[in-house]
Amino acid sequence: MNVLVCISCVPDTTSKISFIDNKSFNSDGIQFIIGPYEDYALARAVELKESNSDIDISVINVGNETTEPILRKALAIGADRAFRINLEPKDSISVAKYLKKFIQENSFDLILMGKESIDYNSGIVHHLVGAMLNITSFSPVTFLDFDGDSTIIKRETDTGIEKIKTKLPLVLGCQEPIAEWKIPNMRGIMNARSKELKVLDYDEVDSVISFDNYNVPTKKEEVKFFDKDDINGLIDELKLKNI
Amino acid sequence: MISLVFLDFNKDSLKDSSKQAISFSNLFNEKVYGITDVNDKDYLSTLGANGLDKIFVVKNLEDIKSYIDIVENNKVDNIILSTNNRSKFISSNISVFLDMPIISNVSGVPSKTDKISVNSTIFSGKADVTINLSSKKSIFILANNIVDIKDFDKKVELLSLNSDEQDIKSYEILETNNIEGDILLTEANVVVSAGRGLKGPENWSMVEDLAKILNAATACSKPVSDAGWRPHHEHVGQTGIKISPNIYFAIGISGAIQHLAGVNSSKKIIVINNDPDAPFFKSADYGIVGDAFEVVPKIIEALK
Repeated sequence: MNVLVCISCVPDTTSKISFIDNKSFNSDGIQFIIGPYEDYALARAVELKESNSDIDISVINVGNETTEPILRKALAIGADRAFRINLEPKDSISVAKYLKKFIQENSFDLILMGKESIDYNSGIVHHLVGAMLNITSFSPVTFLDFDGDSTIIKRETDTGIEKIKTKLPLVLGCQEPIAEWKIPNMRGIMNARSKELKVLDYDEVDSVISFDNYNVPTKKEEVKFFDKDDINGLIDELKLKNI
Repeated sequence: MISLVFLDFNKDSLKDSSKQAISFSNLFNEKVYGITDVNDKDYLSTLGANGLDKIFVVKNLEDIKSYIDIVENNKVDNIILSTNNRSKFISSNISVFLDMPIISNVSGVPSKTDKISVNSTIFSGKADVTINLSSKKSIFILANNIVDIKDFDKKVELLSLNSDEQDIKSYEILETNNIEGDILLTEANVVVSAGRGLKGPENWSMVEDLAKILNAATACSKPVSDAGWRPHHEHVGQTGIKISPNIYFAIGISGAIQHLAGVNSSKKIIVINNDPDAPFFKSADYGIVGDAFEVVPKIIEALK
């Protein structure tokens, strides 16, 4: 079974976000990581491979050469091979088009992504790829396992959780608690050095969306403290009794 | 311009997020249409008061191909959805089928020039960006709670779309577990949230009591759901649910940056923590330094 894990390269969750002249992201001093949701997706793929050696895991990222350390990390965690589409990930639709082309040229039974990337938070690339390829997509998925020919997943709906029986191929947007994050061990890191990391040069697609002016919201007013013996002061301030 | 709003229901009535979406659409469109697969004609015919001119009733909103013609046949310029799991699926499919751009987390009203220009929150609320579109048509997925709900004096026309019943489902639902409680976390006006400061799951009754009095939803921090004290669907934060209620109570939560990423769109944040140096106070609107086990019962008592 061929599994593809699509990963984003994003600033660490503790990063202080800033921009250069409101035009581009300031990556000075920023540690980049595998998106936390894709980290869950990758961890689940590796767990499945641990119990089924027929599973082959490819990871892919759309980005320039600065994203290679996170692809190496994915290889160290347990992916078999890595691909990098050598283009800037400008918006969800163009990323989805690049992934569509890659998936069409190769063959995958299961395509795992995070439910969203934590930089632009669109949360739609999985469904876009599913729609483009006419493959069933689910997100956010909190459980994934196989039962004979069937695939069992749990997805969050807006009112609860559904347990679903379906069939491959599938595109899934993953979320905790689908797996525990994995930390690469020394053997994994050594093995990753000899695994394939292939760079793909695709033609850039046209986009009608341009991101033009970035802002970091200014801090709101200073916190107003109430003494713990002045609960009514807080209640009056918030007009809680009118709720 | 003409807008088509996807309507979401909670039980039998329109969700506040959908009412906001209709109010939002009325700010920059001449006509606002709705689309739903809830076929309650009596209720739908009252929604002119919410700002709808026309409602299309279809069989199944997830069967996008069955109703996609509505967009072209009615000269729809923009499609508006609230942020939720189903809307991400629907909007992505429409985007692919009609080759329309799609913008998530829209946080302001689009400008009405020849080019569409709109703001969107990014980096989990830590930043925002102005997006310019070189397309006249677009799909907007709205961040929650960005406009007030307004009343309108419109007469709504209902149109049922008959389509051949087709089994489009490529899957079978084995089991559905609905979240307990009446108030959905993402829709709640008030959220009462607690963290490790509460020491154990057995101490959550006071959180639930406060939530009940305030007609609020309950939430928790990641360490709490990781420890199994509370279910995962209550976890708000960077890797959990992102919320934007009018009032957010954070009880015994230190305020790690990952937690803030999920709640920083809240209108008012109230932090209760016995550590005066807890980082959360820096992002709070109101703070009480004190032991949660002392402060929370006092609030409950004062509200009773």
